Amino acid sequence: MTRCLVLAAFLLVSHAFAQTPKVLDIRKSLVRITTTSQEPDYKVPWNPGSISGGVGAGFVIDGERILTNAHVVSNARFIVVEREDDSQRYPAVVQFVGHDCDLAVLHVLDKSFFQNTRPLGFGGIPAIESPVSVYGYPIGGERLSVTRGIISRIDFQTYTHSGIDSHLTVQIDAAINPGNSGGPVMQDGKVVGVAFQGYSGEVAQNVGYMIPTPVIRRFLKDIVGGRYDGYVDLSITYFKLLNTAERHALGLPDNEQGVMVSSVSSEGSSAGKLRQGDVLLSIDDHPIASDGFVQLDGERVDMSEIVERKFKGDQVKFDVWRDKTSLVVQVPLQGNWPYLIQANHYDSPPRFVLFGGLVFQPLSKNFMDAYQVDDLRLRYFYDFFITDEIYQEHPEVIVLSNILPDPVNAYLTDLRFQVVDQINSHKIRTLDDVARAFAEKSDYYVIRFVGSVRPAVLERSAVEQARNRILANYNVQNEQYVDGSVIR
Amino acid sequence: MKLLFVGICIALGFVRITCAEPAPTPQDERTPKEEPAPPEQKSSVVRVNSTNQTFDFFRPWSKLAPFSRRGLGAVIDGGKILVTAELVASSNYIELEKSDGGEKSIATVDVIDYEANLATLTVADPKFFENLQPLKTTTEVKTGDTLSVLQMESNGTPVSTKALVTSVEVGRYAIEDSGYLMFRLSCPLQFRENSFTLPIVKDDKLAAFLMRYDSRSQTVDAIAGPVIEHFLSAAAQVPYKGFPRAGLVFSPTRDPQLRRYLKLQDSDGGVYINQVDRNGPAAKSGIQEGDILLAIDDKQVDPDGNYLHPIYGKLSITHLTTTEAYPGQKVVMTILRNGARQKISVELFRRSVADYVVEPYSVGQPPKYYILGGLVFQELTRQYLREWGNNWLKDAPQRLVYYDRFQSELFPEKRKIVFLSQILPTRDTVGYEQISNLVVKRLNGRKILDLAQFAEAAAHPVAGYHKIEFEDDPHQIYLDAGQVEQDAAELQKIYSLPALQRL
Repeated sequence: MTRCLVLAAFLLVSHAFAQTPKVLDIRKSLVRITTTSQEPDYKVPWNPGSISGGVGAGFVIDGERILTNAHVVSNARFIVVEREDDSQRYPAVVQFVGHDCDLAVLHVLDKSFFQNTRPLGFGGIPAIESPVSVYGYPIGGERLSVTRGIISRIDFQTYTHSGIDSHLTVQIDAAINPGNSGGPVMQDGKVVGVAFQGYSGEVAQNVGYMIPTPVIRRFLKDIVGGRYDGYVDLSITYFKLLNTAERHALGLPDNEQGVMVSSVSSEGSSAGKLRQGDVLLSIDDHPIASDGFVQLDGERVDMSEIVERKFKGDQVKFDVWRDKTSLVVQVPLQGNWPYLIQANHYDSPPRFVLFGGLVFQPLSKNFMDAYQVDDLRLRYFYDFFITDEIYQEHPEVIVLSNILPDPVNAYLTDLRFQVVDQINSHKIRTLDDVARAFAEKSDYYVIRFVGSVRPAVLERSAVEQARNRILANYNVQNEQYVDGSVIR
Repeated sequence: MKLLFVGICIALGFVRITCAEPAPTPQDERTPKEEPAPPEQKSSVVRVNSTNQTFDFFRPWSKLAPFSRRGLGAVIDGGKILVTAELVASSNYIELEKSDGGEKSIATVDVIDYEANLATLTVADPKFFENLQPLKTTTEVKTGDTLSVLQMESNGTPVSTKALVTSVEVGRYAIEDSGYLMFRLSCPLQFRENSFTLPIVKDDKLAAFLMRYDSRSQTVDAIAGPVIEHFLSAAAQVPYKGFPRAGLVFSPTRDPQLRRYLKLQDSDGGVYINQVDRNGPAAKSGIQEGDILLAIDDKQVDPDGNYLHPIYGKLSITHLTTTEAYPGQKVVMTILRNGARQKISVELFRRSVADYVVEPYSVGQPPKYYILGGLVFQELTRQYLREWGNNWLKDAPQRLVYYDRFQSELFPEKRKIVFLSQILPTRDTVGYEQISNLVVKRLNGRKILDLAQFAEAAAHPVAGYHKIEFEDDPHQIYLDAGQVEQDAAELQKIYSLPALQRL
């Protein structure tokens, strides 16, 4: 399903039939962004990656800043911005990026770019069926384009840029195409959203999505401190209490209130605060309906929306029904790093260690996408990393991902895609552990894997003899890159 | 997909060679190799038409549509017919037909071994054997020999096709967990209506049984004579004891770095034992993971896990503990552990399919189930996973696939996996519609290790409720025990269920 959602990489909006003053207005705010990016190659992790380019939209906001989508500027090596009324092209850099909400703020080095620009202000969540205009630089021409539509739906959706985060999303029926991304969606002269993704025409017609202003405002507020902390998460799963017998067994009345906590991640905010089997009756004094919805600003929304608007270190208060007794639980909010292995990762090179022609990499979304692994154990480790808390024993799941054939590893090919458990006497929990174990002097390096698998044995002398040969043969620029772990 | 051969068959554990198309053999090439069979053979084979019907593991109270398979059976001593097990697996009705004149008789399965893929049939009417000549068996076949594959034209005319034995090895049989001696033959076979399973003879003696045919490469995988003789000898005893296994998995030790680390001499050979089935013969005798197996009895094991067979040459040592041995027999394994040699006597025995946590095949056995208030609980079997189709490894629920694949590693105790397979919606299940394929941990506070325990726990609701605990979200649900009991008859009626349980 998420695969069908296409990021509308680049787009700008203007009214084709708009009145003259409006078009002039947007021309002072709309920005065309051309990005040259380099995609890391997880199968050849020492390669700098292939270079590609794209065009997207953005718009000027207060403080001489440009707001756009994170996916417009991800993995960027060089960014230029330009305006409709200015022939010059200005280099820009990413000041803040939130991959979990697909938003980024750009900084233009040459301040003269902002002469004669008008920062756009933000509105609220537009009403269903109200009209909006979408501005950007979509395919079909070079200059700004505008499409128009109405608000079709307001709901939670997965943000395909990270692939794992879900936030409030507004669906519109205006066409959103590649090139629209990052462009403003306007109503009554104010930004009510940022166009960011849609379905391709083969899947659904006229279904486009914008990031609504609660998400944008949260992002802009988060970066005020000079750093983007990102979303916080309760890190629980809950079950709707719609079954009468279940309600009665838990000692609840038939009042259609409350959801049951089904699991609590031990690395997340709620660890030690909430328990499996707790019934959540209200969140920050908003009663939780038995389907997990709350009333907020006159709208019926998923209870997650309460937490969505909070920041790292904020608290959320629950009225909890536990063992047929009510109590109040305060949960201090934070992120949950184990989720990150299932999220798309950007802006830093793939992590790996190469030793004796054996490539070791931590399991991640990018890894799984690159290798299309069929190995059942590996797929289990990936799929159940969070639910089975595999991160307790393996904060990073280190995989023998590839073998660069050489006499030193001639008999090890059947061990590809095994999960490393131990090297010599060292338990392997992270990629750092791998690098450290191989840095130690030892006559033999005995690599043991998870499960009933034979060990791989490398002799130090053989590895040393093979080293330069492998580096030269396979054009390996670096033997390892171990920075940038997501583990907290 | 024109994979006439293994492809389709893996999913069901059956091999079909008859379905798609005739072998693309040019007429001129085929004709000279086919010859009318000598008269004696005419009366040693019979047509076997079997109507089979398997259970529907998604609706364990039902059977799927019946289908028929046809093949040739070999007449053997004692008034029996020998066929492959897959020909008559899950059979409802078996009919034999003589080549001359088409005289028919009804038969029933006498002994069946799905792992060795062989079965004997008993014929209802003893007079059926008049004019039939039993085939003797032979094991004297080696690479390079020419054998004859027997077929029959629709009018009953016997046809024999020459087949060259290209290799003899231990290979996968119909059930993916079992490997036995197998002949690979090169042979241009033409599709005929009875090609599901065919006898292969040498000098008028039964030498092998065709089990798979690949029309593109024109190769036959055949059940080898020694396996047939082993089966017939075991089938002569009651109860049938079948083929033993050692219960270990090994890896080669060709890697010189590994050999030096293990301090293995080049003359030692040996394989690395990387898995020992917890309750298998090797484990019970004290063989451990990490041991190096150097010899079985007086047969030296080479670094690839082969020994030198007097007739077949290099052959996997698996043959020594399966076809060459009988349950109850002992073999002496010479192993190297921590640099010291030891001799360990291993009493071999058969691993019954019921001893698996997730049964690798369920042919002929009705699936167990227990329906509680519209929630359908089953014991996990590989056949259930296979119901997801050819791509079941990816399409079936991943936790269940993982439990099946790594069962010997994950579950030290003897147990089954009881899981909620689906929900038949009723007023008891409102709010539970979206949950399925969840492994049950406890029912009413009792740990559940098989469906019988589940049924027992279901008789003991706590404070009027059934509390069902799962390994995954939502982790726990409840049913009103009184209401479930009250609604049981109605549930059975609405969904036309013959019974609410089969244990």
